Order: sequence, then structure tokens, then C-alpha cells
Amino acid sequence: MKKWITMIALVTVVATAAGCAKTTTNNNGNTNANSGTNAQTDNASGNAGGGKAVEITFWGDWAGDGQKQFQTMVDAFNKSQDKIHVKYMLQQDLITKFLTAATSGGAPDVLLWDRWRTPLYAPKNVLHPIDDLVSRDGLNKDDFYGEAMNELSNGDKLYGLPLTVDARALFYNKKLLNDAGVAQPPTTWDELEQAAIKTTKWNGSKLEVAGFSLADNGLFNMYLQQAGGSMLTDDGKKTNFNNEKGLAVLDYWNRMLNDDKVYKVGFEQGLGEGTDAFATGKVAMTYNGPWMLSTYKKYGKDLDFGVVPPPAGPNGDKGGVMGGFGLVIPEASKHQEEAWEFIKWWTANKDNALLWAKTSLNIPGYKPALDDAFFTGDPLWKPFLDTLEFAKTRPAHPGYSVMETEALIPNLQLYQQKKQSAEETLKKAQERGDQQLADNEDVK
Amino acid sequence: MSSMGKLNQHQARMAYLFITPTMLLFFAFTVIPVVMALYLSFTNYDVVSRMEFVKLDNYKKLLEDDLFWLSFKNVFFYSVIFVPLNIIISLLLAMLLNFKRFGVRLFRTFNYLPTLTSAVAASTVWIWLLHPEFGLVNNLLSYVGITGPAWLAQTETAMFSIIMVTLWQSVGSNMIIYIAGLQGVPDYLYESAKLDGATAFDRFRYITWPQLRPTTFLVSTMAIIGALQMFDQAFVLTQGGPGNVTKTPVYLIYNQGFNQLKMGYASAQAFVLAVAILIFSFINMRINKSEEPIV
Repeated sequence: MKKWITMIALVTVVATAAGCAKTTTNNNGNTNANSGTNAQTDNASGNAGGGKAVEITFWGDWAGDGQKQFQTMVDAFNKSQDKIHVKYMLQQDLITKFLTAATSGGAPDVLLWDRWRTPLYAPKNVLHPIDDLVSRDGLNKDDFYGEAMNELSNGDKLYGLPLTVDARALFYNKKLLNDAGVAQPPTTWDELEQAAIKTTKWNGSKLEVAGFSLADNGLFNMYLQQAGGSMLTDDGKKTNFNNEKGLAVLDYWNRMLNDDKVYKVGFEQGLGEGTDAFATGKVAMTYNGPWMLSTYKKYGKDLDFGVVPPPAGPNGDKGGVMGGFGLVIPEASKHQEEAWEFIKWWTANKDNALLWAKTSLNIPGYKPALDDAFFTGDPLWKPFLDTLEFAKTRPAHPGYSVMETEALIPNLQLYQQKKQSAEETLKKAQERGDQQLADNEDVK
Repeated sequence: MSSMGKLNQHQARMAYLFITPTMLLFFAFTVIPVVMALYLSFTNYDVVSRMEFVKLDNYKKLLEDDLFWLSFKNVFFYSVIFVPLNIIISLLLAMLLNFKRFGVRLFRTFNYLPTLTSAVAASTVWIWLLHPEFGLVNNLLSYVGITGPAWLAQTETAMFSIIMVTLWQSVGSNMIIYIAGLQGVPDYLYESAKLDGATAFDRFRYITWPQLRPTTFLVSTMAIIGALQMFDQAFVLTQGGPGNVTKTPVYLIYNQGFNQLKMGYASAQAFVLAVAILIFSFINMRINKSEEPIV
């Protein structure tokens, strides 16, 4: 009996000791971190000329060049005033980290937000609505891209301001098109097909130059708009591609891939930057976003390229998909007011939005900044700005992305490899997709 | 007599004391999370805002989830090819490199090197090697007049490519385990078998293979567990495509849990996977037991 008591006592002692040890290290860690940040704050406020600055954190997952671009903006903001000091923290696994922080404390004050995630997260009350702040400070919502604002809204609440907007446009290699006798870049599906046929080069069974890249099945949404369709029904609850418009897209793809043979499945897989198929002249035309401009410009004379808005479909319908990032304030942030000042300074001020554009070569979501010569004087920006005029964001349904990746794209892949007919593809994608949408609709 | 008992008790007490830290860690990081996951699989937990008890709803939904069962079919197909090949190749390599010859250590190291690379980094390199037009594999094939397929992009070859890449990466460590096993087989068995006129094949069949039974059990169990939990390579090489032929259960669990925030449902899927792994490890144990060693 006595021995058992000793045992239990021993275990308890060890357990408490372990617990104590843990707490102590934690305390130490915290103290260190605090003193570290305090020191920094002191430095910063010292630079800015006295006063006790509020330290706020800004989380994002942009590393490398992106991190430097963020740091440029953060430094500029910290210099511009002495009340708030922002610190950028790179988080590799941003969303997972944010989720744990949102529930267990330590949430950031400003969060880089991939806008399409809004319908899944906003109903869970992890983001702070900013409608009051916007109206209090008299911001004009029409100064921002409306589609991007919609993507940051849920119900009738706005959760952030757009930091960047992007859309894909058609990049074409001027030299390859000229050599093939194509005088003008394509503006319609038919012209695109003809230009692709002319620029494609086969050497026996080896594809040397693909006329047009059909690598990204995720662009189905854009093609469907060009064919006059839409991904979801008007009430936004069901898929809407199993019809003649969806068929038109699949027929067009099939013609290009299997009849005209302007592309080969897997042709670009694994070709990263530096071996990019368009940059190295192995693909004559491809859809890509403005984020590739800086990469392609690096090639200088070796890559003479142009950009045009996406060619229109058979009935002249235009289509583009808008994406991009926003800045949001987590509900768990302790400095929402300061966070808002930072977001407003960055995204709703012409000079700062322009500084951001020049630093990062992104299109800001704030329209007045686009009147600057930086955008109007460069022929490569214009097609993107034109595309953004008619581009639509992805439908705001919490299950939309999983519907695309699990129901639609796998079936499109099977179709491209002639494993199933067009009708079967659309039917299976619709059945599975409707189920995915229904399963993921309720997120409260 | 009583002093012996006291000594034993003292030793037992010390033993408990020594294993206490490990057991505490084991409880904190293994037992408690497993129990919590089991509980979560009966809730609609979404990390941030809700955790209601939904009874068997997750499991009912799971039964109708075609994609989940398809992913199981995919990993079973993968395991059926991967596990035997893994054992055969690593055993052959081990027997080849078990001799004491000049330079044999160098070759052992070379064969072990792929294991040291990170799965993601190695897969990225393999994407390059398997590129349909510019990849090394298809370039070599073109010298003998064969037009290689788009290995990772075609439904017929995608899973096969993943099997090859994972084999390349895993045979090295199993080879080391087998070499250790081979060196534990007593020499006198071979000597007496030779005296009795056993051929090389007989010696393998009746001495080496049965003596390696525990090693094979270890290698095959680890291979089965690894195969059923496959994720990294499928994620990097094919993203589960084309047409879902390389989607794996862990891939879906990750997607449900971290992209759709359906932690409850993901936990249910994870439990079904854990049970499957348990069943197959058990079958594997029975098969291995049926072949009793001779000595």
C-alpha cells in the first residue's frame, strides 16, 4: 500500500516538474520575444521621433521577392507616422496557422487573404466586418473593383479591401506568330485555333512547338463564359455547365488537342520558371496572369511577346476570371483600429497603391491608381486592364473550389485523354459537383 | 527471500520511474490526440466555430462517398504492386551488397542515398526526368525508337510512375535492414547445408528466407503502412490526377480537413484508414507467422 502511494507521489512530482519546466521555458520564450519586439518598437519610434507606437502584426505567405515587396510597404508605412508599427511575419502554412491562432490566441492584426476563401470563412465569424470603418472614413466603394469587393463580402457585410486584382490574358510570342504568317494576334476562338495550327511544329512523334497551351483545365470557367455560359445557376446553388455551352467548350478543346494536335497532354508539366515553355519558345500562345510579366520581361530580346485580352467565343461573348488578394482583419485581433489604418493607407490611397504596384508589379484594387502613366504608358498592362473590365470572380459558394478540383477537373482530364465522351464528362461532373456543392453549403 | 523481493520491488519502481517521461509524452502526443480524433469523428467540428455531436452522420456520409472508396482502391492497387516489389528489390540488393569486397560500402551508400532526399524535392526532380518531351527517361527511350508516354499526365502510366519513384526512394533503407538481417544468419547453417549438398537456391529457400522472417515482417509492415498513407509523392507528382487515378485517402483527408474545414468528417475518414491499416498489418502478421523458421 505504502509503495503505491510512493509511486503515485513520484509520478505526480515528475509530472508537475515536467509541467513546471514547460511553463518556465514558455515564460522565458515569451519574455524574450516581448523584450525583442519592445526593443524594435523603441527603435522604430525613436526613428520616427518619440511616442509609444502600437505594435501590430501582419501575416502573409509571400516569401522571397514577395516578402521584400511587403517589407517595402511596411517600412514606408512605419516611416509615414509614429503611432503604429507594423511587423510582417512570413507564415508558410498561412491558413492553418491562422485557424489555430484564431481559436487559441495570438491572431495577427492584418492578414493577407486569398479572396476566394471568403465564403467559407466569413460565416464562421473569424473575420472582422469593416463596413462601419469604411463609412466612417468616407471611402468611396466605387473606387475599387466591384467584383473584388463582392468577393470580399458575405451576406451584406464587407470583410476587407482588395490589395491586388488579376485576370488571365493571352500571351503570344511575336516571333513565332510572324514566322508562321499570323499577322494579328487572335481575337476569337476561330482565329486562336488557326493561329495555333500554324505555329505548331511536330518532328515525327515529338512535339517541338505547341501552338497553344491547353495545360490548365482550371480555365474551364473562363472558356465557359466565352461560350456564353456560367459555372453555377443564377441562385448559385447548382452547377450549370452540363448544357450546350459546356459542350461547346469541350468540343473546342477536343478539336485543338486531338484533331488539330496543337498541344500534347503533359507537355508543360514540371517546367518551372527558367524552363518555362512560353519563355523558351516551346509554346507560342498561352493564358497567363500579370504576375508573369516581370519573369518574361527578364528575357529581353530573346522573348519578343505581346498580350491580348482573351479571345471571344463563337457568339462574341467575352470571358475572364478575376482573382487576387485582399487584406482583412481577424476578429481575434486586439488592434483592429490600427490594423484598419494600415490597410486603408495601403489599399485606399492613390500614391501608396501606386507605390505598391511599382514595387510588386501587381495591379492594385484601387482604380484611381490605374490612371498613372505607369499603367497607361505600358502596352503590356492595357490588355490586363481591359480584361479586368469584363472579368468575373469565381462564384461565391463555400464548396466551389472543392467542386472544381474534385468533380470537374478530374472528369475534364479523363475527357482530354479520350477516356469518356463529352456528354458523359459533363454529366458526371454535374452529378458529383452538385453533390459537393450541397455537402459544403452549410458552413455556419 | 524477502530481501530478493525488496530488490525486485526497488528495481520495478526504478523502471517505472525511468519510463515515466516517455509514457507521459506518449499519452500527451499519441493517446490523447487519438482519443480526441475519435470523438471528433462523431462531431461536425470545423476548428473555429462549432463542435456539435452528430452521432454517426460522418460515417454514414462516408459510406456513400464514392471518391473516398476510389482513393482506397487506388492505394490498394498501389500497395499490391509496391509492397512485393519493395521486398524483392531490397532483398536482392541486400544479398548483392552483403559480400565483403572492395568498394562494397560505396555501393551500399549509393543505394541508400535516395532515402536521404526529401520526398518533395526528389519528386520535383522526377517530374523533370519524366517529362514527355525533354525528360531523360523518354530521351533514353527514343534512342531505342520508342516514343515514351507522358508518364505523369496519362491515366495509364501515372500510378505506375508514382510506384517507380517511391520504390526508388524506399528500397535503400529496407536494403540496410535486410543486410543487418543477413549478417545475423549464423554461418554454421550454411556450412552444414553445403555439406549436405544443398544448392544455392535451396540454401536461400530453406535457410536465408526463413531466418529473415522477422526482418521481412518489419519491412513489409512498414511498407504496407507507408503505402496506405501515401501522400507526398502523389501530391507533388500528379496532384491526385489525372482523372483521380492517383488520389489517395490521406490526400482527401487533408483536403477535407484543411481546405474545407470539415475536421469531423476528416477524422472519420482517418479512422477508417487507421482500421484498414490495422487489418492489413494483421493479415500480414498471419502470413508471416505461417512460415515458421526451421531453427
